[in-house]
Amino acid sequence: MPENREQLVTGSPIVTVDHVSLNYHNEKEPLPVLADVSLTAGKDELVAVTGPSGCGKSTLLRIIGGLSKATAGTVKIADSEVTGPRSEITMVFQNFVLLPWRTSLENVLFGLSSRKDLSIAQKREKAEKALEETGLMGFENVYPGELSGGMKQRVGVARALATDPEVMLMDEPFSSLDDLTAERLRKEIYALLINPFTSVKTVIMVSHNVEEIIELADKAVVLSQRPAHVVGELTIDLPRPRNKKSPEFFTWVDKVYSLLS
Amino acid sequence: MILALGLSILFALIVGITAARNKRAEAVILPLLDIFQSIPILGFFPFVIGGIVGVIPGEIGINVAVIVLIFTSMSWNIAFGVYEAVKAIPQDYSDLLNVTNTSAWQRMKAIYIPASLSRIAYNTQTSWAVGLFFLVASEIISLGTSTVKVSYGIGIAVEQFSSSTPFDYANYALLIAGLISAVVIWRFVFLREFALWSEKYKMMEEPRERHRDPIMRIYSWVNQRSVSKLFLLTQGRGVTRFTSALAKFRKGVKYAVLIFLGMFLVLIIITIMNSGSFSLQNLPSVSTIAADETSVLYALGASFIRVWYVFAICAAIGGPLGIVISLNFRLYDTVSPILEVISSIPAPILLPAIVLIPVFGHTPEAVAALIIMLSIIWYIIFNVMAGVRTLPADIKDLPHVFNTGRKSAWRNVYIPGAITGFVTGSITAIGGAWNALIIAEYFTVTDKFGNTTVLTQVPAGIGKTIVIATNSGDLLTLALAVISMTILIVTFNLTVWRRVYHYATKRYTYNR
Repeated sequence: MPENREQLVTGSPIVTVDHVSLNYHNEKEPLPVLADVSLTAGKDELVAVTGPSGCGKSTLLRIIGGLSKATAGTVKIADSEVTGPRSEITMVFQNFVLLPWRTSLENVLFGLSSRKDLSIAQKREKAEKALEETGLMGFENVYPGELSGGMKQRVGVARALATDPEVMLMDEPFSSLDDLTAERLRKEIYALLINPFTSVKTVIMVSHNVEEIIELADKAVVLSQRPAHVVGELTIDLPRPRNKKSPEFFTWVDKVYSLLS
Repeated sequence: MILALGLSILFALIVGITAARNKRAEAVILPLLDIFQSIPILGFFPFVIGGIVGVIPGEIGINVAVIVLIFTSMSWNIAFGVYEAVKAIPQDYSDLLNVTNTSAWQRMKAIYIPASLSRIAYNTQTSWAVGLFFLVASEIISLGTSTVKVSYGIGIAVEQFSSSTPFDYANYALLIAGLISAVVIWRFVFLREFALWSEKYKMMEEPRERHRDPIMRIYSWVNQRSVSKLFLLTQGRGVTRFTSALAKFRKGVKYAVLIFLGMFLVLIIITIMNSGSFSLQNLPSVSTIAADETSVLYALGASFIRVWYVFAICAAIGGPLGIVISLNFRLYDTVSPILEVISSIPAPILLPAIVLIPVFGHTPEAVAALIIMLSIIWYIIFNVMAGVRTLPADIKDLPHVFNTGRKSAWRNVYIPGAITGFVTGSITAIGGAWNALIIAEYFTVTDKFGNTTVLTQVPAGIGKTIVIATNSGDLLTLALAVISMTILIVTFNLTVWRRVYHYATKRYTYNR
């Protein structure tokens, strides 16, 4: 993986979504869901995708991850087309999607199942490190049912991070948490994802929380009602750390809201 | 049959709702339902038939007995469904009822009955198959010495065709074809319609089932008008007013179950009185009982092993099959209606045909195993399918997201996800296996002239013991066999299955 990274020219996008459309095939006529959506996510960028509920944000994320097929258009990582799930792409879910019958450690290990190059001991070491980074030391042998929502999502992030992903897809990762927990987790997870030492090169996050987007994103892509197309793309150049009480912050929030309505 | 089904639903509504709404009733009813569901009812049949015929002689009495048996076989399952449905009504709804000060009857009509309908519809499909099995079985079994028998019925027809020499292929095939079409029509026109209609009453929290079933589609246009109208009629006042009268006796209902239990005892006593072989003067000596019990225990042991090895085969086939089918949408849509039809053909009617196959003709053990398998494997397949289907889509995506490979996906996602359904199915399957033994281990047919031929018999088994004791009127052995079997099964359920079930639901149920 490190060799790959050097090959990449800084500045060129990591993920390219190129004129992607999707129709659901109903009995009578095709039902368009996504209409010609294009976006890019560059190195060390966090791109937020937002839009009205039910517009197809999550479906777009699934297409980027190779879990669903687009009717037309392509998704590329660096220069290779995504045709199915790939080990350098990973996902964090709104509802955590942990295996309730496995402990936190086993859940993270499950994410590493595909790594044939690692011994069991190496996998364990990796999993433990990921749990430690996400603040779950001491909870390795606890089942998800005994964890709070915030901690479940930490396991979800640890599972994703342990696989050394280059592209991290997050589907409303904070929306099923209470405000206080979400607030803290947002900061921690951003720091984990965007830093010089991680394998993660780019993050695409679906969200409907505008303040969350302005707090975290470098770029916001706003989608329309179904069939979804891009109604606006904003490069949010607020300096970090961002002050949620500053007037500039609110100007950005208003900009996104005006695109949404 | 339909009469028995109606009675079962009524019984289920009353018992289920009472158990779910009243803590004290719950403590009494649940264990009783549990026991009734697990004991082999077929074993009690000779007593039931004897008792009822003793009270109502002749053809009517026998038909009443058959209805009672089918009712008994179907009602527990539906009652459990109602109980679970009413239990699952969100607390908010009960609060609403309390706030608005609704009367008991209003509650029944507004919330409890509608909430139970979809579960009734669903469980009726299973119960229907079970009932059909019992219908055939009960018609075939006759209480030996006394000549009580239903004159017309599928079971009787099977017996006649297969006892004639040469084997009456044409009529037998015709009968099976007829039965299959009856099953198809009943299930896909009537039960489906009931299920669809009841979907309206699902609590909004539950996901609605998608209707992609191909056979369903063919029928939907036919019965859109006719059958729906029928249901609109029953939906109206008639049915509900009747239940309202019963609802008033809610306090007394918990005793009804006890009375029912008592009736069983009374029936046994009446049978014994009627038979005349038992009187105070010639009570069986202790040594006779001991000798009888020894042979009963030996047979019970043989059957115990038989039940478990057949179950193991069914689990090994049914578990993976259920998972594979439910993971593939297209496969599920085509295969599941076919499986549903096959599953509701009662295995006993196939027995005469199976025996004709040379391999099976000479190995009674294989015949018994096959009959038991055909009777029970469906419980495992359908429950596993239900378990995997209800897993959220995103958890089924996980193996793809992380590229885990097939082995890890099965080990970590599919198999654990199927376990709760598998355990539920297994409990029912084992119960079904004990019932099936009574047909599978020893099967005789009597032709028009009263000549009896033994089609198949295993060397030893409790089913064989029960049938032979029934035919020869040996009430002592019969009683010992039935009681020993019941004790074994109930003990096993209470000690082993209950723990397995608790562990499975605690660890392997998917909750976010």
